[in-house]
Amino acid sequence: MTREAGALALGAPAPRRRRLGRQRNRDLGTAALFLLPLFVLVLGLIFYPFYRAVWLSFTDKLVGYPERFVGLRNYEYLAQDDAFHQVIRNSFVFTVVSVGLKIVTGIGMALVLNSIIRGRNFFRGLFLLPWITSTVIIALTWRWMFDAFPGRGFFNSVLLDMGILRQPIAFMATPEGAMMAVIVANWWRGFPFFGVSFLAGMASIPRETYEAASVDGAGAGRRFWHITLPGLKHVIIVTTLLSFIMTINDFNIIYVMTRGGPGSATQVFATYSYQVAFQQLRWGRGVTISIFLVPLLVVGIALISRYLLREGRGK
Amino acid sequence: MTRALTIAGLVLFLLVILVPFWWIASMSFKTYEQIQFASSIYVPKPFTWENYTGLWSETRFPLWLRNSVVTALVVTLISTVVAALAGYAVARIRFPGREAVASIILIVYLIPPALLFIPLYRVLAELGATNSLFALFLSYPTFTVPFCTWLLIGFFKALPDELEEAALIDGAGRITAFVRVLLPLAAPGLVASAIFAFTLSWNEFLYALVFIQDEKALTVPVGLNLLIYGDVFHWGQLMAASVITTIPVVALYMFIHRWMAEGLVAGGVKG
Amino acid sequence: MPSRHLSRRTVLAGALGASAALALPRLGFPAVKKGTSLRLWILKTYVEPTNKAIEASAQRWAQKHGAAVTVEYFTFEDMQTKYVAAIESKSTPDVGQLETSAPSRFAGMGQLLDLTSFSKQIESQAGKAPANVAPVTMMDGKVYSIPWYVMGAFWYVWRDVFEKAKVKLPSTFAEAREAAQALTRPKDNFYGMGQSWNRTADGYGVMQSLMYSYGVGWAGKDGKYKSIKTPQMQTVMKWATDIYTNQLQPADTLTWTGSGNNENFIAKNVAQTSNGPSITFAMENAVAKATDAKDKKMKEDALANHVALPHLGGPDGRRMQAIAMSMGVFKGSKDPEAAMSLIAHLVSPEETVMVMKDSYGQFAPVLEKAKTASKDYFNKNENYRTFGRAAEWFAPTGWPGPVTAAAAEVQASNVLTDAPAKVIVDKWSVDQAIEWEDKKIKEIYDTLRA
Repeated sequence: MTREAGALALGAPAPRRRRLGRQRNRDLGTAALFLLPLFVLVLGLIFYPFYRAVWLSFTDKLVGYPERFVGLRNYEYLAQDDAFHQVIRNSFVFTVVSVGLKIVTGIGMALVLNSIIRGRNFFRGLFLLPWITSTVIIALTWRWMFDAFPGRGFFNSVLLDMGILRQPIAFMATPEGAMMAVIVANWWRGFPFFGVSFLAGMASIPRETYEAASVDGAGAGRRFWHITLPGLKHVIIVTTLLSFIMTINDFNIIYVMTRGGPGSATQVFATYSYQVAFQQLRWGRGVTISIFLVPLLVVGIALISRYLLREGRGK
Repeated sequence: MTRALTIAGLVLFLLVILVPFWWIASMSFKTYEQIQFASSIYVPKPFTWENYTGLWSETRFPLWLRNSVVTALVVTLISTVVAALAGYAVARIRFPGREAVASIILIVYLIPPALLFIPLYRVLAELGATNSLFALFLSYPTFTVPFCTWLLIGFFKALPDELEEAALIDGAGRITAFVRVLLPLAAPGLVASAIFAFTLSWNEFLYALVFIQDEKALTVPVGLNLLIYGDVFHWGQLMAASVITTIPVVALYMFIHRWMAEGLVAGGVKG
Repeated sequence: MPSRHLSRRTVLAGALGASAALALPRLGFPAVKKGTSLRLWILKTYVEPTNKAIEASAQRWAQKHGAAVTVEYFTFEDMQTKYVAAIESKSTPDVGQLETSAPSRFAGMGQLLDLTSFSKQIESQAGKAPANVAPVTMMDGKVYSIPWYVMGAFWYVWRDVFEKAKVKLPSTFAEAREAAQALTRPKDNFYGMGQSWNRTADGYGVMQSLMYSYGVGWAGKDGKYKSIKTPQMQTVMKWATDIYTNQLQPADTLTWTGSGNNENFIAKNVAQTSNGPSITFAMENAVAKATDAKDKKMKEDALANHVALPHLGGPDGRRMQAIAMSMGVFKGSKDPEAAMSLIAHLVSPEETVMVMKDSYGQFAPVLEKAKTASKDYFNKNENYRTFGRAAEWFAPTGWPGPVTAAAAEVQASNVLTDAPAKVIVDKWSVDQAIEWEDKKIKEIYDTLRA
């Protein structure tokens, strides 16, 4: 399944060309040489640690003590751990809502930018500001935006000042509020990437298609639904996939904003793994938490690959 | 879209994006008491530079900034070189297993840092790299290279075959064709790739938090986290640090964003 | 060309050396080799002058012995992480400042040097530590660290607010709860109390003080797991969750970070809160930084009106869980003797008093001689006198048993503060929460090797 995805990444095969045999061999050599650094990196610093992570998940490694093999004990523990169940729920809520919002906002942003001609580049650059800012700073920023302490909290300061509120609202004090706050921070940071990608996608939809539709009497709304969106399908899928994976792995924003609280209301895979490994010192269990994510990711990739394949065949 | 709707949308987005920045910048110019007692909300009164001077002279912030810059530059260099080489090979050289390699790159990118940070820590400790920036030079490419490679594959694919073919027929070797012909054409893609690598490296928090303990070797994100003393937050200084950290990256982007968007097009859309 | 006869210089030097060795009292601390370099890890407290003072003290030792000391900091936040990382990567410092549960935890891992005989030498030099503090430094009857000071927690109140409402200053948890009820005025954004069950010392520390003062411990005197499903724990949990009802506290109390209660207290949003002396430090600082005469008067009044009471007591006594700092030597140290010499220097009465003077009351020395020497410093005013008594009420993690790795993990697992949060946020019943907490604690004791 993924081989096809790889093939699609490479695009349709180029027409056959004459190949000198000698060139072929030299090609292989060059390819090997060019790929060597990547190969070393991937093998030594990704696959090897991954292998060790898997091994570690079958041990009861506790910091300071040598590890002992315990089979599936960590997995069994987590499977019945209510805290872990909550982590899974939180991670999905966080990711799905956040990505959903980013898609919608991204389309909106692309539509707006697409409609202006003068200054488009300038605004596009300006709108990318959240995406290039350090996530730690973004987390701190939004923590302060939602702060209940009037001197720091933007919303509370403004609403209190305008007389709309008599007392500050503790946005992040409830599980729902805290989840909303971290989603907002993640959304704010991420939607510009969607917007810019979609904008570029829109640029590749031929103008003639729109003009023909206008001539046929289609209004702006219908043009959007029947031309723009389908034309963006590929970009939307690809961008969503990337964002989904980055978001479900997120550590920075949640760790800095809420540390996973209140209680465990915003605890996600990455933050829980960190807590178990570095505060409770249980490395075996800590690694296992993250490994639970791997099958989910594999399923995700497989699904998307299948989609891409179907679309590729259709073309 | 109608003109009115467009303008409304533009204003809305501008507000959403700029207000948080303004809030932080504004607070960075307030004194501790102003923040504590919410005495002047919208415009700092009195306007003070003490947070900036305090940040620079009383904390290790300048050191952290230097560490972040050095790390980002080194990692960007490594990543761009490795990704360019690998991306070219996969995109332009027909070798057996080519598709498999492309898939592997995708899969590797999706392995979460949250999974690797524990065993990676042990590996780096065994190499003696922990507690120094070397740990980051080695570990950051694990997430920058796959992404940049994927991006560059798309970008290289988009370049016409003819030029390279012409060079090859003229008797030039692959490597020469790569360096002389393709690289210059791929400049936008390379710049995009470099900027991604720089941004990812600049932002990174988890690995820097876990791999480095020496306060003098911290990067800015971890240092900021440290500035939160616990009982007495130097809010103003934190804000000032946020502003200072953001400005260079913003400046870089305003200058180069055009290239970056093109890079996104070639990589994101086609890939 | 080597000379066959010893030069006069050599003979003289030898003679001097011999007589010097004979003349000096045998301290038992081997001489530090010149050029030795040590790594020292110390806690970055909330009060910057203290941090600098400790560093300066270490440098004084370095100068005295022609050695070098590199000081690295850890914070309350990353206390665990840093040491954990160092242990796993075998890059532990030579000398480390260890918080309450660290000595037994790390000794259990075989990371610390046995300092039993060294501690006897320190005793003769600097005096003993009180009986309730000593257990922190020991495991299985051996001493693994030298106790230095206690960072106490105190019950801060606004005296003027209490006087105006004619409410007695609280001495027990029950009284504090009543006072909160009497003083809370939500309509004016003023609340009776600010106690957060967050994952900081202000949270888990106070929870333990509450439990221990009511005679509840999750371990027995032998250090083994003991069930907390008792009537006293019911009372404890009720107190912990009760204060979140009836608008006794600000709405966002549960999500405060470590500085949340400080800020709310200083801004006079709450009438009572638990904290270390850093609140007093902040207020003294504010006076110094006052912008004009009016501002100064306001800050001075605030300083005069805030009171740090002894931490609240319960029916079983007044117990305060706090941070007891001690100094240990890691086995990986290349020069353990120099390390011990450094520790001896730092905990000596003279040096301790010097550091303490820059600590704004945070730092209550525990070794006798230093304690006596610091009496004058703490006599400054009523608040400081209370600060100085911190060691009196100290109860270590895992009371009434010894500090064990399991007890440390109970604290680190956040179960102590997560339990009341489940009642407050998730609307569990008190019984359910205690049941859950007990189960989690038992699990930790069952699955931990130490």
